[in-house]
Amino acid sequence: MLKLHNLSKVYRTDEVETAALNSVNVEIESGEFVAIMGPSGCGKSTLLNIIGMLDSPSSGDYIFMGENVAGYNEAKLSNIRKQNIGFIFQSFNLIDELTVEENIELALLYHNIPASERRERVAHVMDKVGIAHRAKHMPSQLSGGQQQRVAVARAVVGDQAMILADEPTGNLDSAHGQEVMEMLQQLNAEGTTIVMVTHSPAHADYARRTINLFDGHVVTENLRAAE
Amino acid sequence: MFQNYISVAFRNLIKHKLYSAINIIGLAVGLAACVLITLFVRDELSYDTFWDEADSLYRMNTTFNVPGREPFVTVMAMGPAKGALERYFSEEIEAVTRFNNEWPVIQYDDKVFSEEVYFTDPTTVDMFSLDVIAGDLKASLNDNSTLVVNESFAKKHFGDRDPIGQVMTLTYYATTRDFRIGAVYKDLPHNSVLDFQALIMIDEADFENFPWEFQHWFSVNNNIFFKLKDGVSIDTVNARWKDFTDTMMDVRAQIEPGTNPSDFVTFSSQALLDIQLYPAGDGEMKPTGDIKTVMIFSAIAGLILLIACINFMNLATAKSTQRAREVAIRKVMGARRGQLVTQFLGESILLALVGLALGIVLVELTLPFYGDFLGRELTFSYTDGITMAILLGLIAFVGVLGGFYPAIALSGFLPARVLKANKSAETSGSVLLRNALVVLQFTISIGLIVSTAVVYGQMVYGQNMDPGFKKDNMLVIRNVGEKGMLHQQEAFKQEVLRLNGVNHASLTMGRPADGNESNTSVEIPGDPDAGSILLGRQGVDVDFFDTYQIPFVAGRKYEEDRAQDGAPSSDGATDGEILQGSIVVNERTIARLGFGSPEEAIGRVVRMGVGDGVQADLEVIGVVPDINFQSLKQIIRPEMYVMDDGWRGNLTVNFSGDPQALLAQIESIWQQMAPTVPFSYEYVDQALAEEFEAEQALATMLGAFSMLAIAVACLGLYGLASFTAERRTKEIGIRKVLGASVVDIVRLLIWQFSKPVLVANLIAWPLAAYGMMMWLESFPYRLDTWLLAPLCVVAGLIALTIAWVTVGGNAAKVARANPIKALRYE
Repeated sequence: MLKLHNLSKVYRTDEVETAALNSVNVEIESGEFVAIMGPSGCGKSTLLNIIGMLDSPSSGDYIFMGENVAGYNEAKLSNIRKQNIGFIFQSFNLIDELTVEENIELALLYHNIPASERRERVAHVMDKVGIAHRAKHMPSQLSGGQQQRVAVARAVVGDQAMILADEPTGNLDSAHGQEVMEMLQQLNAEGTTIVMVTHSPAHADYARRTINLFDGHVVTENLRAAE
Repeated sequence: MFQNYISVAFRNLIKHKLYSAINIIGLAVGLAACVLITLFVRDELSYDTFWDEADSLYRMNTTFNVPGREPFVTVMAMGPAKGALERYFSEEIEAVTRFNNEWPVIQYDDKVFSEEVYFTDPTTVDMFSLDVIAGDLKASLNDNSTLVVNESFAKKHFGDRDPIGQVMTLTYYATTRDFRIGAVYKDLPHNSVLDFQALIMIDEADFENFPWEFQHWFSVNNNIFFKLKDGVSIDTVNARWKDFTDTMMDVRAQIEPGTNPSDFVTFSSQALLDIQLYPAGDGEMKPTGDIKTVMIFSAIAGLILLIACINFMNLATAKSTQRAREVAIRKVMGARRGQLVTQFLGESILLALVGLALGIVLVELTLPFYGDFLGRELTFSYTDGITMAILLGLIAFVGVLGGFYPAIALSGFLPARVLKANKSAETSGSVLLRNALVVLQFTISIGLIVSTAVVYGQMVYGQNMDPGFKKDNMLVIRNVGEKGMLHQQEAFKQEVLRLNGVNHASLTMGRPADGNESNTSVEIPGDPDAGSILLGRQGVDVDFFDTYQIPFVAGRKYEEDRAQDGAPSSDGATDGEILQGSIVVNERTIARLGFGSPEEAIGRVVRMGVGDGVQADLEVIGVVPDINFQSLKQIIRPEMYVMDDGWRGNLTVNFSGDPQALLAQIESIWQQMAPTVPFSYEYVDQALAEEFEAEQALATMLGAFSMLAIAVACLGLYGLASFTAERRTKEIGIRKVLGASVVDIVRLLIWQFSKPVLVANLIAWPLAAYGMMMWLESFPYRLDTWLLAPLCVVAGLIALTIAWVTVGGNAAKVARANPIKALRYE
């Protein structure tokens, strides 16, 4: 699916140069479920953002589905991203002014899909994540777990091959957190590649492989035996 | 406490540079426009208030009700009316004076020139408190060979010499006399409707053979002012005008038996103080203003200020989101609501004060140009109590109005909610209010664009209106009727015709757009029922129609070799004899006389007096279309083009080629033939265009202030757009992560700001269209009403485009930003 080779990311301000990622080499196969762990500030989110093409590496190669996208411009990246990658955030990032249905539909809005098909797919995915009965509600009327389910629905409604989740359970209680994890596992079982940043070892256990980051380096990669 | 407020206020000012700049600049521009307009309005309202007797001075206006024509109103009256007023209103009126302008030829110091001089009555001294610098004004105006001049006149002609006692030789009509300068008065200030640089006592004996100046009851050449006695109400005079007319107007011999003078003439009085702002008719000493203009500009000043205030309010409420946390913490610390309101109002007033300071700088910078444009000396006085009070009042008003809503809204935040939720504290109410205000701003802007376009369009229309005759490459040489040229004008014409590039030339009484009224009554022989019919009259010569290229609807022009063509002279005729001749008339004349079609009219006869009690039967030989010879701004009157041996004052030259070279040649001929008569000329097209000077000035001023209004509105929109973009950062981030391109985002933001502009269009169109239709009503020849539709649409598009450009740049910047910044951590 993707391969990072000697990838580095350096943030520069006027005085300070901070290396967020330092010669990282990571390979993720299609259909994998990978967890990224590590202490705060180790570069997890930066790595995820680069994988998600929201950020560009300072050096190194990023091969995504056979293409080296490291030097691509924003428009090209945006195009690849919207075809292939879905996002789930810790703080859900739903648009407060849109209903559940409209929030999910947003992911299809930029894909040139006719309205009737959009409605169908939104309805289908809402059923799948069990949020159909709240279709017309505003995000503020939902619980955190429900909001995250909407976010998951939004991430998969476009049939993206890969979902990037940045601490998807960070703002949820354990019951809701588990619910979301099971949903991700289900999606993975259906063939979606999932890359997830998490602090929770328990939730990392849902993944088949864990990448541990420390100060911008990959320190260990644990492969969990297939069940 | 107070210091804390001040420092927070200043830090806010500096921290939010964009916000502060938009507010201060917008307000400064709004206030500057307001001050400039107020200076103009106050100046207009100050006209003639400086005269000691201003409150009791009135002018006599005359309306002629000519059957078959629009009433003709003039602010002048007849010479004999002075004596009539004095006798008839001896109980009510204390004094009457006349002003009658002439351009005598003046010889002084070997130089010959022409200057405007007003002939006036000695009573002027008692009515108008002229500021005499030297000499004895009263004695001078009681002597028929003494000239009174103003300071500029004295400076211009006498330089450093003492003007008193200088002698100038003046020639007017048949009089040539030496005049001694008897008094010098200070120039009249610009804010007077009176405008004279030199005065001479009227000696009616000088005009014995020119009775239309001071003796005829049907000739109006004088501005007549009268002063009421103390305690007399003008109503008593007004109530008796009709009786005055029938008792005093000695015209029974000239009107139909059974009719009264008051059937033809209506007098009215106009207070001196009303003259500047309530234009009554033709014949002012100089162009006046108009209360409509004053009101239009007062309204514009108010609207610009309103737009600036709306910016103030909108940006303050928008910004309130960002200050929610500050307010919440202050509340937690124990601030009462009243204290917070005081704080925010104070900040708002501080901002307004900074705006005022910058506004005054702008006023000072633009005032010279503005004064030049208006042709007046306007000064902004810092010591004038009223001005300063108005300005400070305005600042308090703007500050409180601009600060009030945000102060109330901000101080009403619930701290717990703001601190805990850390989310947008904006209520849908404030968003709605803000949108409504943006709609209001753009309604005003679009309305102003439409108005400017219509005023400008009307001006262009007027300037390019086909008057019905040739106006390009046409030169009018004036003064050919002056003594010294009068008797050789025909020879002069022939000399001019010999020049290269001269196609035709014609001697005429009037000239295009001079607005002069000359009327003659005619009868239809054999049709006593038709009675006597008053028709407009232009005195022309045989080359008139060729020179002005006027086509014929029917019949033919005057021809040189037909001895009977034209109106015959009464010379040598016996009393009661009826002479024969011919006449060319316009189509309206045919209609007025009931002659049927132009073809049918040919061969019909009208009878008219040709002087000394002799009459002539004139056969209609030609009918021309209705041409706007008299004025482009009046409804065309029934008009006869009389070829007779009457006085001719102008030579029109139809030429081709370089006008400058031709003009030099003509002037050299003039200098040889009549060195004692000043050479003076004008171009016909320019003379016609000058009729629309007032509209031109109005259009320019309207355009300038509309642009300011729009600029201020856009400034506000820019500020709002950047705040909205800031507020919607998260949403924009999400949309981008989900695949929205920069274009998608820009479109989203632009659409958000297009909606209020579109709504504004819907409101502005009918309002502006209605207003401008009312305005156009006052022009007899005007733009087609349907043109308002495309003008409205174009104005709407302009507003929309401006809004897009304003919002677009900002939106693009936001849309290009990296979304992870917005999304990483809330």
